[in-house]
Amino acid sequence: MKVNFVVLDDSEDIEDHSLLYSIEDKYDKVHFFNNPNEGLEFIKENLSLNLIVLLDIEFSESDKSNGHKLLDEIYKSSALIPVILWSGINQTEEEFSDFINNHAFGFLSKDSTIEESMQIIDKAYIQLKTSLDNTIEDWIIESNEDKDKPIYISTEGKSYSLNNILYEIRSQTEVGKEFAAKLNALTIDLLLRGKKEL
Amino acid sequence: MVRSEEKTITFNFDVSAYRLLGRELITDRITALFELVKNAYDANARNVTVEFQDINPLTNNSKIIIKDDGVGMKFSDIQNKWMVIGTSSKRRERLSPAPFYRKVSGKKGVGRFAVDKLGDKLVLRTKKKGATELICLETDWSYYSRLEDNQLKLDFEEKKPFFTDVENRYWFEEGSEDQQGTILEISSVNEVWSKDDINRAYKELSKLVSPNSEVQPQYPFNIKIKAPYEGFEDRKVKLQLIDFATKKIDLSYNKLNNTQEILQHDKGGLKVINVPPRPCGLLKLHIYYFDQEAKTKYKKHFKTDIDGIKIYRDGIITTPFAEYVANQEKQKDILGLDKRRYSGFFERFGSRDLLGYVEISDEQNPNIVESTNRQGFVDNEAWEELRKLIIEQIVQLESYYKYVRKVDREVTKSNLGGANKDLKSLKKDIASIKKNASPQVKEKLRNIEVNLGKIQGSVNKSIKDYAKLEKESKQKENLFFSLVSLQTYAAMFSHMTKHTIGHILTSAEYFHKNYPNPELEHRFLKIAKNIYKEMLKLRKGVDFMLKYAKSDTDLEEINLRELVLNLFYDIYQDRFVEEGISTIVDIKEDLILNYNRKAIEDIFDNLISNSIKALKGMEDKVIKCSSITTSNDVTILFSDNGIGIKEEDKYRVFDIFFTKTAEEGGAGMGLYMVKTRVEAMQGEIEVAENELQPNGATFRIKLPFKK
Repeated sequence: MKVNFVVLDDSEDIEDHSLLYSIEDKYDKVHFFNNPNEGLEFIKENLSLNLIVLLDIEFSESDKSNGHKLLDEIYKSSALIPVILWSGINQTEEEFSDFINNHAFGFLSKDSTIEESMQIIDKAYIQLKTSLDNTIEDWIIESNEDKDKPIYISTEGKSYSLNNILYEIRSQTEVGKEFAAKLNALTIDLLLRGKKEL
Repeated sequence: MVRSEEKTITFNFDVSAYRLLGRELITDRITALFELVKNAYDANARNVTVEFQDINPLTNNSKIIIKDDGVGMKFSDIQNKWMVIGTSSKRRERLSPAPFYRKVSGKKGVGRFAVDKLGDKLVLRTKKKGATELICLETDWSYYSRLEDNQLKLDFEEKKPFFTDVENRYWFEEGSEDQQGTILEISSVNEVWSKDDINRAYKELSKLVSPNSEVQPQYPFNIKIKAPYEGFEDRKVKLQLIDFATKKIDLSYNKLNNTQEILQHDKGGLKVINVPPRPCGLLKLHIYYFDQEAKTKYKKHFKTDIDGIKIYRDGIITTPFAEYVANQEKQKDILGLDKRRYSGFFERFGSRDLLGYVEISDEQNPNIVESTNRQGFVDNEAWEELRKLIIEQIVQLESYYKYVRKVDREVTKSNLGGANKDLKSLKKDIASIKKNASPQVKEKLRNIEVNLGKIQGSVNKSIKDYAKLEKESKQKENLFFSLVSLQTYAAMFSHMTKHTIGHILTSAEYFHKNYPNPELEHRFLKIAKNIYKEMLKLRKGVDFMLKYAKSDTDLEEINLRELVLNLFYDIYQDRFVEEGISTIVDIKEDLILNYNRKAIEDIFDNLISNSIKALKGMEDKVIKCSSITTSNDVTILFSDNGIGIKEEDKYRVFDIFFTKTAEEGGAGMGLYMVKTRVEAMQGEIEVAENELQPNGATFRIKLPFKK
């Protein structure tokens, strides 16, 4: 699975941070933005990619949003993206819980070693890999002939192929969310009635 | 979808509501008494008697009877007010009936449930003037309690009576026509009332009405306590009197001009100045300060402690102070007087040195709201500002006394010096008389000379000791200041090192794991450079930190321009770039000051961090530092185009612990430290008109050249 890392940090020095080198060595592309708004823009335009975000939570005031707001906005555009907070300040518990409520995937301290940091990053990778959308993508790669077969008709009566559904899920549209929920329910139903085994 | 016919459903109270409104809301007995006595006040009573019968030990006859001669209630009042929870009657009518027109203190309509805290059973007897019968109403809280216990055993779904379904018995009794008022007879008393408890109740009730109150003197409100203890058989509660105070401060307001009086200390003068109203609204404030001697006198005379500042609304105490705590250390300090940072340092006053009354009113301070549980105030802006206002006045008072003590010390010093001089001339005179004196007189004079010498010796020793003591206390104060600014710096420093160390650590780790690898060569080059750069940053921070370890009393020649440039372009450069702040330095090149370097750096350090905070969120940020030199002094202007200083704050920006930037980590030390440092150099500092337009702040600092 290909994954793109997006790093939002207002300090330009961070672009040459060895953690980012290590991520590039192990995974794939790292996109660095020291303007958080440009970064956010990039994320919104590339929801069809597998994204993992590293987010600094202490932007200077002139850069509009601080980490809390950014995290919130990223989560609003897609709940599927693991966002890892990467910070130099020691968070108090209260702030910490705010981040948890905003669905932060994890925390990295600016003074963690690469090894320590990579454990959290690998975890985020595994979460992405085992997610529904990536399972569908893997399916399409394995058996390309299934790609355009219609598999789902929405409550509005529109028909969707496997590939369409992948797009809808990644873009976190109503149809995408609805499909995911129904699929889970169906799976449980099938298992319960003994129609299928895993 | 087909809708069925609509119906409605209502809320109901579980029987346990009596607990929520009574014993669980009012947490102590004295507050409960207060609530009931206040009801008497609101009912235009002139006299209220709180009588305790058989309350130690408790028997079947134990009773607490609260009797007033107020207006009483008619049956419809019982029905529509007394029996209605949260009744709006006192919110509708904020004045008690004619001719008293007291501002009523009740508001929430739950005060009468305080009875539940005192005893399980209540018989209320009430009568209006002219009526022929007393209305009697019985409420048995223990019945509610039993009902609650039984209901717990029932199935949840089962239908059972609600709080409002419980029937309370009432009947009529004969009464004389001119009798009026309400009697609350509380039986099944919950707890023993010892003599100490009664004494507490007495002391707290004596504070119910403000000593400065505007309660009309022609309609006094008298409270009597009757209890089976010596001295309390029939005791009138006297208002708390205040005497022996070292200093009394009265602050008021001008409704017409919409201004509030506040205190302002300036070099030994304690002025009252007028400022625009604060968000808490206009108010009156009376503060009495007691020094050690005055405190002893007060305690001896009134046999009670000095217990801080209380808040009165329309002449009647607001509730939180009613709680009496035997151990004064544990007493509530809702104003936070004793919790102020660095309490105990810097000659600060606590609630044990101060008595006071804050007079607020419904009219002027509608946003200050007592919390329903009587334990404090609703935490809103108005309350926060009220707290601040009071603390600011105390800070001014502290600063005034600090100055007075300093002057006293100077006087003592010069008196000692004068005594030494007098002794010298006395010795001279004696020596000249001795020349021509008879042998007997000579002998006597010699003795006198010897004694004089001894006295001179002890005076000299006193002078030396005094100087030593002064030096020590100065050193101590400097140490405190260093510690405080060190604390601020430490926060910045550890933040910086965390980043830098993280950067270096991961760089080294990357090297260690990947070297050699020809494909990564370009990275190794970059990383090596990073390590170097980060190390330089670290070194600078450590250098700056080291300054704090150095002695800070030495004077040296300082090139002001170099010092400022070093701060602006080395120490703070990164911060400025990070915050997007540009700087202008316009200081004459050859300006040399002979001062203590650390003190001057402290001044600029604090001004800079103050400006950085003031510039948060602004655009096109600028900090400017310029100087004008005359033959006697140098004037330094330090400006930024940040949020600026509000007119109302101009008098207090230099106050210790005044801060508008608590969110950015401001502790209210910075500008205070600047001011004390400047004054230690015999200089002056003030807030000038902002040099940078349209907004911002300018500080003008004038330092004399040493001659």
